[in-house]
Parts: sequence; structure tokens; C-alpha cells
Amino acid sequence: MIKIAIYGKGGIGKSTTVSNLSVALAKSGLKVMQIGCDPKADSTISLRQGKKLPTVLETVRKKKDEFTLDEIIYEGYAGVICVEAGGPIPGLGCAGRGIITALEKLEVKGAYETYKPDVVFYDVLGDVVCGGFSMPMRNGYADEVFIVTSGENMSIYAAANIAMAIDNFKGRGYAKLGGLILNSRNVEEERSKVETLAKDIGSQIVGTLSFSETVQKAEPLMQTVLERFPDSEMAKEYQELADKILNRVKEEDRC
Amino acid sequence: MLTRVGQEENSEGAKVAIAKAAFPAPFKEGLEFSSPARGTWNIVHTGMLIPDSHQIFVCAQGCLRGVVLTAAEMNAMNRYSAIAIREENVLDGNMEELMIEGVTDVLNKLTYKPRAVLLFISCQHFFLAYDKDLVFCVLRERFPDIDFTDCYMIPTLRKSGLTPDQKMRMQLYSLLKEKPLNLKKVNLIGSNLSIKEDCEWFSFLKGEGYTICSLNSCKTYEDYLDMASASLNLITEPIALIAGEDLKKRLNQEYLYLPCVFNDEQLEENYSRLASQLNLTKPDYSKERIQAKKALEQAKALIKDTPIAIDYTFTFRLLSLTRRLLEEGFLVTEIYADSFLKEEYEDFEWIKKNYPQIIISATNRPKMRFLSRNREGKILALGQKAAYFTKTAYFVNVVESGGFYGYAGLSAIAKLMEEAFNNEKDMPTIIQRKGYGCASCI
Repeated sequence: MIKIAIYGKGGIGKSTTVSNLSVALAKSGLKVMQIGCDPKADSTISLRQGKKLPTVLETVRKKKDEFTLDEIIYEGYAGVICVEAGGPIPGLGCAGRGIITALEKLEVKGAYETYKPDVVFYDVLGDVVCGGFSMPMRNGYADEVFIVTSGENMSIYAAANIAMAIDNFKGRGYAKLGGLILNSRNVEEERSKVETLAKDIGSQIVGTLSFSETVQKAEPLMQTVLERFPDSEMAKEYQELADKILNRVKEEDRC
Repeated sequence: MLTRVGQEENSEGAKVAIAKAAFPAPFKEGLEFSSPARGTWNIVHTGMLIPDSHQIFVCAQGCLRGVVLTAAEMNAMNRYSAIAIREENVLDGNMEELMIEGVTDVLNKLTYKPRAVLLFISCQHFFLAYDKDLVFCVLRERFPDIDFTDCYMIPTLRKSGLTPDQKMRMQLYSLLKEKPLNLKKVNLIGSNLSIKEDCEWFSFLKGEGYTICSLNSCKTYEDYLDMASASLNLITEPIALIAGEDLKKRLNQEYLYLPCVFNDEQLEENYSRLASQLNLTKPDYSKERIQAKKALEQAKALIKDTPIAIDYTFTFRLLSLTRRLLEEGFLVTEIYADSFLKEEYEDFEWIKKNYPQIIISATNRPKMRFLSRNREGKILALGQKAAYFTKTAYFVNVVESGGFYGYAGLSAIAKLMEEAFNNEKDMPTIIQRKGYGCASCI
């Protein structure tokens, strides 16, 4: 089982990217599980045509421990297994605590053994603001972290922060930084800025996604590009990126 | 002395006739009252059962009062240490460092070398998402000849998921490592108090050449580790079931739940299950059965129609015992419990149908702090909380089933009821001691 965490600044397109990667890998015959680690619980929304699913945390709140995996795990497009960690009521409680509880519950209830995914994606909210958000990169969770960034300054800043957190944890056996995913926004000297970032943090750009109207057209339809526009250029880009990421993790694994 | 001049006291929400009581939780949750009856064991008492172990609590200083008093009361301060979490640890997020360096400091300063360390974490660890694997990995590297395990003092877990008590029972055996299984060795796990050796299954197993081991019988850490070689774990308390499941998973030890029931048919069923598990023939217990019946009749002849109050700390199968006493003609008038085990449903319904007037009283509703404890006439209480709430000096001082099991247990309880009926006890002094059965300096 390969476990991958995707981090990046809020609004940079993590969930869109992850959902398309999930579908790409699922279509190539792999069993993929996508776990949304964001209190907004909208990571998997385009895999389920806009249908929300009960989050782990709201199920824990309602039923304590008296629930089964099929109450929190649902199948999405192309057979992608969808889970949303969820979180407390906005503005209240501790979102990090929510992520911890959700991931622990999945483990204790045997989600990985039961569904036996080949690939697990953790789609993690914005920045590593507290211990809860570092959970997906801990030992036993993701093997590698990929950071989605554009050339916008705030996005680069957030990516640098996440990379710093990963570096801080290197002595602890946590996930390694797999690389950057450049999600283009067509800002000036975008590639060069992200290349500089990659150099500064000792990493690399593993793939680039174009700024595309196709993505914007698929989004309001609550579908992934690979579902709605399977023959588009963007669909190819996602497919290529998925393959690159998978090969990169497999290579690291061999090392 | 102050005298009530207002209206009669209103017990609504804290007392209810069983006919109108909801199962399994007759009362609403909320602010709780803790009565001064302290005889049940807590996580410190239970943890101390592992020989040559040392307990280290990591939590805010204010949370340590209960556990430090327990350790002090049981003369075990040399086996107890604490690491206080301060505001700066929360702000710096250095919980792992605090724990690793704190435990190292404690162990380096101890005048003896423990074989095992029980490291108790608190709710702050959960909120701060400390990295347990990292902490224990480093500690095991630094102290390779000490076994470390994680234990929990987390009140926020009391009513969701596994309780700290369940977790404690499980972690008690977490240091056992796989060994070849001995088919002639059986463990009793999860009970704070040893089952009395006159219990039927004890003599049955011994007669068949089995060795019976429990934490109470372990004198050394090696004895404890050797519990891993038993092929079967017997459990009499439901909170220890999780420990049985864990040991089956990790060490391949089978487990059998033999609930502490007081009904003859159910006891026979337990014994049949035990015999069947071991491919043995169940002995005939007619003699013991008659003896238990006679002992109860003898107690009834003495106690007659004296009202009896019983509480949940007396035994895990409170309603099973209550039903048995009612069937034997005893006048049980009050049951003190805040909730019931689901497995008690049948007995609850039976009592409800046949004795609908019996009162169920809460022990933790704040109103119980103010309701009158005075009763007219003599009351016999079974259990410390029942004794406290009925303010009686006539009570059977037993907690957590007291190691009594089966027909022998029933006979012993009947004798204790007689003894309690005939002799006053210094109730306030006795019930304030923590962990009945443990050493106490009070």
C-alpha cells in the first residue's frame, strides 16, 4: 500500500488535483482511497457529483464508537473509496484534534485492512498549523508528501513552511518530501519562482498542471476532469502526473 | 443542628422506582457528585499490580492530586513519579521532548531500577497530538532493559470509546511478549482482586493439573512475563474483555468470559463452557449448589425482613445478585446504580416485573449530596456506596465482587451478610480508604 499526503495553501487546488489523481490511478486498475483531512469536508465532492458524505467526526459525535466502516466510507467515481475526516463546528473546537480522531478511528476500525487500497491519498488542509495537521505525515501514515503550489507569493510561502515542517521531522522517521506539484496560475516567471523554491528546499518539481478552462468547467458540475472531459489535454496531464507521482514513490520505496 | 423547615425533599431525577426506570441508564447525565465511598480501585492501584513496575504520570500539576494521594495512601510513593506539563510546553509544542527527557531524568534519579515503566498520559497529549511512537521508540533505545507501556488518565474518554479503566486493564498485559503456550496453564485476567481459591472452577482446574495465574499471584516481573505462556485467559469482569481480545490477537491466547453471575443455571452454564473449552467433563456441583442455598436460607432466617440496599460497587453483576436475593426472600428495597451493563437486561426486566416498587437511586447525581441519608430502622447495605447513602453501620464491605465467585462465593456472601447484620462497622472510616484490598496507611 502506497500512502501519499498532499499539502498546499488553501484554495490552491489540492482537492481538485487529488481527486483527478485518484481517478487516474483508479482507471489504471489500482484501488484508491482518498481521505479528506479538512473540516470543510469537501475533498471528495467531485468524486461524488456534489453529494456530501457523513464525516468521521460527525459520526463519532453522533454515535460515539457504535458505528461501522460502511457508515463513513463511500464509493465514488471509478470506484475511488471516499472518506472525509470532518471537523468541529466552524469557529469552535480544535480542527487538528478532529483530524487525529478521524485518522485514529479509521485505523482502529481496520479501514486499511478491510478495503485494502493500493494507494491512499491524504488531502490535507492548507498549512501544518498544529500537531493535528502533521498527523498524515507521521510514521505509519503517508510515505511521501507532495506540495501543490503556484507561482503566487502566498502559495510559495505556504509551501516553504510545509517543507520546513517536513524537514523538522526528518529525525522522526516521518514522511519524506516527494516534491512540488506546480499548479499554474499563469503569474509572471511562475516556473522560475517555483524552481527556486524547489532548489531552496532541496526538492524538485515532479509535475506541472496547466492553467486550464477545462478544470474550471468541470468544477461547477461537481465532476473531475477525468470523468467529465476524459479526452481533454488536462485529463492527460493529470494522468501523466499520477504516473510520475506513483513512479517517484515506488522508486523511493526501492531505495 | 439544622432542621429542614421547607418543603419535603424532592428526589426526582435521582431516584426512581424500577417500574418507571429506563434501561440501561435511568438518570440523565450532567454535573456529577462523588460520594466519599472510595473503596473501588483506580488506575494507580491497578497498575501497581505489575511487580517491579514504576508509574510516571505526565500531566498538568492540578490533575495529579488524585493519583499522588492514591500512591501515598498505599505507601507506594517510591513507585510513583510525575512530570508536570506547563504552559510553555503547550506553547512550544515540545511534548515529546518533555516526556523523553523527563522520563530519562526520573529513571536516572531513581534509587532502584524498575523492570517496567507505566507511562500515563493525559488529555493534553491527545489535544497536542503527541507522537507516541517516537517517545516510546527513543525511551526503549535509551533504556533497553526496561519495558515501557502507555497508560491513560484521560477523563474525557470516560463516556466515549474505551474508558480509561478498560484501557488500563488492556495495557496491564501489554508488556507480555509471545511465548510457547502451555496447555496446562490458565490465567485469570482483568480482575483487581484474586478469585478466592475455594471457588469451584479453581479447584476443578487444579484437580485437572492446571496452573492458575493472576496478576495478584505474580511475585516477580518474571512471573508476570510468564503469564504469556498460558493457553487460556479467563475473564469475569466485562471491562476486561478488551484485554482478552488484545491478548488473543497478540499472543494467540484463547479467552473465555465467565461473568460473575449468581443464578444457578447461569453458573452451571459458565462451568459447562469452561469444561468444554478445555475438553473436560464438568463436575457435578449439586452439593455446592445446595450448600449455597442453605447458606442463603440461614442468612435470611437471621436477617428476616430487614431492608437491604445494594450498590454497583459490590459486584459487576449487581442485578444478578439482587435477583438472587429477592428469589431467596430477602427484602431488597434500594439499588444504587447510575447505569447498568447491557448484559443485565434480563435481570432488570425480571425485577421490574416482580418487584416494581424497588427504588433505583443514582450515586452521582448532585441531588444525592443533599437528600437525607437517614433511614427509619435498621438497614443492611451491600457495598460501600449503599452504606454511605443509607448511613448504616451494618454493611458488607466488599468491592468489585471481592474475589467471590460461584456457589462458594454465594455461601461466603451469605456469611458476610450475617456478620454484617450482627456487627456494626465504623462506616465513615472504612469507606474513605481508597482501593479496598490494597495496602493503606490510613
